Amino acid sequence: MSEDTKEEIYRPDLFVTDGSGTRLVGGCCKKCSYHTFPKYFACPNCFSDEIEDVLLNPIGKLHAFTIVRRSMPDYPVPYGLGLVDFPTNFPSAVRVMAQIESKDLENLQTETDMKIVIGAVRKNKDGGDIKSYKFARS
Amino acid sequence: MRDVYILGVGTTPCGRFPEKGAHILGREAAWAAIQDAEINPRDIEIVFCGHVYQGMGVGQRTLKEIGLVGQPVINVEGACGSGTLAFWESWRSIAYGQFDIALALGVENLSKVLSGGPLPLDEEDIEVALGMGMPALYAMRAQRYMQEYGVTSEQLAKVVVKSRKHAAMNPIAQYRKEITIEEVLDSPMIADPLTRNQCCPVGDASAAAVLCSGDLVKKLAKKQPVKVLGCVAQSGKYASAEKLTCDPSENVTRTSRLAYEMAGLGPEDMDLAEIHDAFSIAEMIVCEALGFCEKGAGFRLIDEERTSLGGDIVVNPSGGLLSRGHPVGATGLLQTAEIVWHLRGEAGDRQVEGANVGIIETMGGAQPAMDGITCVVSILGT
Repeated sequence: MSEDTKEEIYRPDLFVTDGSGTRLVGGCCKKCSYHTFPKYFACPNCFSDEIEDVLLNPIGKLHAFTIVRRSMPDYPVPYGLGLVDFPTNFPSAVRVMAQIESKDLENLQTETDMKIVIGAVRKNKDGGDIKSYKFARS
Repeated sequence: MRDVYILGVGTTPCGRFPEKGAHILGREAAWAAIQDAEINPRDIEIVFCGHVYQGMGVGQRTLKEIGLVGQPVINVEGACGSGTLAFWESWRSIAYGQFDIALALGVENLSKVLSGGPLPLDEEDIEVALGMGMPALYAMRAQRYMQEYGVTSEQLAKVVVKSRKHAAMNPIAQYRKEITIEEVLDSPMIADPLTRNQCCPVGDASAAAVLCSGDLVKKLAKKQPVKVLGCVAQSGKYASAEKLTCDPSENVTRTSRLAYEMAGLGPEDMDLAEIHDAFSIAEMIVCEALGFCEKGAGFRLIDEERTSLGGDIVVNPSGGLLSRGHPVGATGLLQTAEIVWHLRGEAGDRQVEGANVGIIETMGGAQPAMDGITCVVSILGT
């Protein structure tokens, strides 16, 4: 790995970090307030194209997970992968998939409260980390 | 809407054939289907060619090898459902009166694309970019399903044991050696709880079917024709956390209900099924979605051997995707050929006795927050 390897961020538009932590940026329909992640061009519920950015709830619940032990090139294994439901007022939750950051993947359990963190998700062609949003136990 | 019949089917074996391009595999299957139908190839008015990774003009590239030039050739892509989507296109082009004779073809040489591991997916898809492959997606489905319904790893493994047992009797299957529960579970873990033997292999093959209108079937049919009783294609809807678990059951349920309605039949009328068991867990989820049992009871069908040869609803007598193989674009037409052989009584040692009606289900692809990309369900009868 060369010294000038730069850290890359995948889709920095999908999350924001401030003093209180990291939150995912989804879409919310101005007409019917249906939430999605990521933001779509038109609302899946009412077809309005007036969609605004919305910060998803900082904490969601783990719906399902796996430990990936064989993967595509550039993805160091093993890593956790999960589906997390973030509560919204409409629909009841938005389900998001991402990697799980944990030193204790073997003991993951569904319904655990999960937060968003930033961490390495894969390698770039120079061997440097590409980082993005991940889940971690809250 | 007009009646549509299958006059003939043909396939190559399933396996690793890196030296045979898709067009070489494709010409063998297309020619075999034409020979089986005993028609003049020149009478084919339109061809639909399903594939995923075979590049520009693969249908035309294939058909020029057997003199089938000039007529329209439409290349069709619908992820793992590409083959049956080509079949659906062929069916509707005849059912709605535009053509009388069509060839549905599916081709794939995956060995030229990858040596092993998960299928290459589109990195514009954020979940793929973050590390989701198809095995990982099905692994999460399996994890949640096992927890919700109290299913064990041994029960998941039994799907593979049954699949290999069936495939051992199928001369075109990729994996023809029987296997034990222990061997399934002891193979390397790919994504917990799915071991390698619970994932379909990388493979190459082609399969084809010749379809014709009810108006011409008496004149053209040399063998017992097989009637298309129902044929429906749908795509996935938004999968919300509120309504769905992370499985493709809504899409399969919706598509199969429409196909049953078209056929005027129900799940209880099916004698056999060829379904999309890309991973062990998929067979349980799909059996439930097709209405063979209640939600969460799919593992009991396996435990009670109701889906094994000799059972009341035989599932994947070919060995399915897990053992016959899953050359993605060809899969749907391999499934179709298998059902046709059983309905004609030509399936050899694995023949389902007295098979009158069979169902084919193919499920393709994944998208963030969507319930699969493509689902095609066909019901065939004598």
